[in-house]
Amino acid sequence: MPTLDLYYMPSPGASRAVVMTAKAVGVDLNKKVVDVMAREHLNPDFVKINPQHTVPTLVDDGFVLWESRAILIYLAEKYGKDDSLYPKDPQKRALVNQRLFFDLASLYDGFSSYYYKFQHTGKFGPPEAFKKLETGFELLNTFLEGQVYVAGSNLTIADISILSTISTVEVVDFDLAKYPNVAKWYANAKKVTPGWEETLPDLLAMKPFLQPKKD
Amino acid sequence: MDFYYHPGSAPCRSVIMTAKALGLELNLKMMNVMSGDQLKPEFVKLNPQHTIPTLVDNGFSVWESRAILTYLVEKYGKEDDSLYPADAQKRAVINQRLYFDMGTLFQCFITAIYPQIRTKTPAPPEEMEKVDKAFKLLNTFLEKDEFVAGSSLTVADISILATVSTFEIVDFDFSKYPNVAKWYENAKEVTPGWEQNWEGIMFIKKFMESN
Repeated sequence: MPTLDLYYMPSPGASRAVVMTAKAVGVDLNKKVVDVMAREHLNPDFVKINPQHTVPTLVDDGFVLWESRAILIYLAEKYGKDDSLYPKDPQKRALVNQRLFFDLASLYDGFSSYYYKFQHTGKFGPPEAFKKLETGFELLNTFLEGQVYVAGSNLTIADISILSTISTVEVVDFDLAKYPNVAKWYANAKKVTPGWEETLPDLLAMKPFLQPKKD
Repeated sequence: MDFYYHPGSAPCRSVIMTAKALGLELNLKMMNVMSGDQLKPEFVKLNPQHTIPTLVDNGFSVWESRAILTYLVEKYGKEDDSLYPADAQKRAVINQRLYFDMGTLFQCFITAIYPQIRTKTPAPPEEMEKVDKAFKLLNTFLEKDEFVAGSSLTVADISILATVSTFEIVDFDFSKYPNVAKWYENAKEVTPGWEQNWEGIMFIKKFMESN
C-alpha cells in the first residue's frame, strides 16, 4: 500500500475531506502538520513544494497537488478499488463535479465569510454572508429531495467534501433542523463515511476559536 | 444541446470555446439575467440553482461551467483527449488550475473588478492586492510550461482564458506578469472560439459605456 505525504492542518474541512477519502480508498498518509497560525506555510521549503502555499497539499512520490477537491478526485481515480467514489460515467461524474464546485463556492464560502471570519477578526461576517450560507443550505436541501446521497445513489467524494464542510455545524451555532433533507443526509453520512470518527476530535478542536467568549 | 447563457459571462464563454474546440453545435439560448429570465419556473426546473451557464444535453442538465467543460470532453472528446487527458496526474493538475480559477482568479474578478464595472469607482486597494497575488501565482504556474497545466492546451487554459480576458474590460495591465502576458497572446491564437469570447467582452464594454 502506498504512503503519501499530506501537508495539512488537522481541523479545517478541506484537510479532513482528504483524510476521509484516503481512508475510503485505503491509502496511508504520512501526515505533516503545517501550522498556518504560526505562518509555517510561508516557510521557503513549503513554498517550494506549493507556490500557492495552501493546505492541504499532497505529495505522491514527487507529484505535488493542492486544492482539496482536486486531491479527492486524484485519490479516487488513482487509488479507488472501483469507480463508486467518482463514477466513470460522464453524466454521473458531471453531477459529482457540479456538487464539488457548489460545495466550494456556496457552502464553504458561506461558512468562511460568516463563521470563519470570527477566528480572524473576532466578529462574525455581515448578514449577507449568512444569507448566502442559508441559500446554500436551501439548495442542498433541494438537491437531496428523495435522495440518500448528494450525487447519485451511493457515497461519492461529493458527499465526503460536503460532509467535511457542513460538519462545521458541530462547532458553531447553526440550526440544521430548518433543512430536513440535509439533516437526514448528514446523520447518515456521519455513519457511513470512512474516517469520520477518526477526524471528529480534530473538528471539535476548532470550537474555542469559533465561539464568542462568555462574560 | 441547449445552452443557456449570456455572452458577457466569462464562465459561459469558456463553455462556448470548449464546444468549438470539440466541434460541437450548441443551441444557444440567451438569458437576460437583468430581467429575471433565470427565475422563470421552466428554467428553475432545469437548474434549481438557476445559474448560467446551464447545459441540457438530451434531457441531462448540468451547470457550473468547469463541470460542463470536463463533461463535454469526457463525453464527446477523443479517447485520452489532450483537452482533458486520461492520466490521473495530468488531469489532477488541470483540476487544481480549474479550482484556482474558480476560488482565486475569477473570485477576485468578482470582488475587485466587477464592482468597478457596476459603480464606476476604483476597487479598494486590498481587493486589488488580491488580484495582484492571483496574477503572480498564475505567472509562477506558467514559469516552466507553455500552457497553464502542462505542454498543451487544456480546459484549464480555456477556463482561465475566459477569466483573464475579461480583465480587459478595465484595461488591466498584463505586462507586470510576463509569463501571463506571453501565455495570453498565444492562447488567443490557439484557442478555438476566441472571436466569440472577444465579442462577449466587447458586449460588456459597450454596455458599460452606454450606462
